[in-house]
Amino acid sequence: MSFNPPDGTRYVLPDAAARRALVVGTLRDLYRAWGYDMVEVPALERYDASHPRQAQSFKLSDRDSGVLALRSDFTPALAQLVRAEHPAVANGARRPLRWQYSGTVWHAIDPELARTREFSQIGLELIGVSNARADAEILHLARESVRAVGLQPRLEVGNPGFVRALLDAAAVPDDRRDGLADAIDRKDRRDLADLLSATPGGATPDAERARQSLLAVPDLYGGIEVLEHARAVAPWSAAQREIDRLAGVLAEFEDASELMLDLAMARRLSYYTGVTFRAYTPDYGQPLLGGGRYDGALLPAAAGFSIGVERLLQATLARAAAPEPAPRVLALDDPAARVLRDAGVRVVRALHTTTEEALAEARDLRVPFLLVAGALARVEGVAADDDERVALTALLLGADAAGGAA
Amino acid sequence: MSAPPRLTLALPKGRVMEQSLEVLRAAGLRLDTGGGARALRYDAGDATIIEMRNADVPTYVELGVADAGVVGKDVLLESGSQLVEPVDLGFAACRLSLIRPRGATGTVQRVASKYPRLTGDYLRRVGSGAEVVKLSGNVELACVSGLADAVVDVVQTGATLVANDLEEVDVLLRSSARFVVNRAALKLKHETLRPLIEALRGLPGSF
Repeated sequence: MSFNPPDGTRYVLPDAAARRALVVGTLRDLYRAWGYDMVEVPALERYDASHPRQAQSFKLSDRDSGVLALRSDFTPALAQLVRAEHPAVANGARRPLRWQYSGTVWHAIDPELARTREFSQIGLELIGVSNARADAEILHLARESVRAVGLQPRLEVGNPGFVRALLDAAAVPDDRRDGLADAIDRKDRRDLADLLSATPGGATPDAERARQSLLAVPDLYGGIEVLEHARAVAPWSAAQREIDRLAGVLAEFEDASELMLDLAMARRLSYYTGVTFRAYTPDYGQPLLGGGRYDGALLPAAAGFSIGVERLLQATLARAAAPEPAPRVLALDDPAARVLRDAGVRVVRALHTTTEEALAEARDLRVPFLLVAGALARVEGVAADDDERVALTALLLGADAAGGAA
Repeated sequence: MSAPPRLTLALPKGRVMEQSLEVLRAAGLRLDTGGGARALRYDAGDATIIEMRNADVPTYVELGVADAGVVGKDVLLESGSQLVEPVDLGFAACRLSLIRPRGATGTVQRVASKYPRLTGDYLRRVGSGAEVVKLSGNVELACVSGLADAVVDVVQTGATLVANDLEEVDVLLRSSARFVVNRAALKLKHETLRPLIEALRGLPGSF
């Protein structure tokens, strides 16, 4: 019998668990302050062959002949919740739902290259509205999320709708689109040129010109000037509309210096329909979060992002983090312990009943004070300064004084 | 204005290392690699260089330990890493090919390769049910010794094949050295990387 957890899962020990709770709590408060309500969805889902991540979901057999899947992604689960509880929104009514979520997801993958099979996500969705102002709200919150945990954000922002418009203009057949979009996303002009020359179509001069434009897309990244370059490269009206949408989003930022445009972002072309983004932070080589607009994919209008909590914790670990403070008081006196806990002090309840045994217990735990009969006794052999004792005593007396006055 | 951010580059040991340094210098990086034995990781003027086996380059760049690197397209595809690959440097050109003993006919049952992923993909594509054996050393030996009845390996000049009475029966892909970049680094160290990418593209032989 192994004591190790299954491949791709892990134990989280007290210091790391405390840091995780702190980070998740900070983000929940941030989203709450922006009007995002917390919702929960089941971790057990009915298996659905059309689920965007069905290939990498763990499947379980139900008691009857049904098949269940472990949650592999929050977004489709939230879309189901909208269909169940807000059918009008699911059918296209324009009414904003602002929701946040956090929890575990599972991916049935080979746990290679620094990936785990069980991990936590926190994120949000803005459902039932689709315009530049809604896109900007999501982007603002993505940037604030990184700032809130003490990291410096850098966001890459793209719009796969632009690539899609160019593929349309170039009359690229459906079965060639994913390959071309992948080469564009990797900025691999060699592959892109080879794939384009092997792609049928392009019969008209206009389609031929759009093919030339596609070759220029990998280099459309940088600051706001990219929008002008893109307008020159892609004069087709559908492509211009996608550039306008991106310009409209950027206009919602008084300071866009932490945003970088990349019009070559073209992953999951059939899923993401509008603005997409990822957030990075200096000295950390992996994205902290990713998201975008996916109108029509699961719901008529929706956008959101999700954060990999473990990644975010890893990135914040690069900064010095204070370890979780150890408990300072062991208590034999429950009412007095409640007073200290209410003031935020960590107080452990003694497992013994006599003062002598409790003092020994405190020594073993390296706790410097024993709370007994309303007073603090010093535990010999555990370091603590007198100021701490004075401060704790003041808390106990303060409660007495307040109680006396009442 | 602050100094442009400094790069860490992952380069494969051996001949590709020398060619990589040559093109990076030609693109304007001051790289002083000294002479003789070098440390695994060293400061070379405009960049920090880390030396490794070519198959490890995609891992270092994908996880962001290196901002960018140079690696063959064959190795990159085998790794399955999702990197930005903005420049085909053109050198280290080769083919990844299916090789059999000269004149061999009949169904291929077992294929040996240092590229098990690409070999498996190829066999599925052509509808072969042959099994794949992963080797790390001299793959031609597998064919010559009878371990496998075909191998998938890199062919540059074809001299090794002729010497061992082997022949190239199909080409899986054409490869050359790529300048690869970590996605986060491209955005975080844009001021350094963008001009470097453009200079590398401008070199003869690059695309």
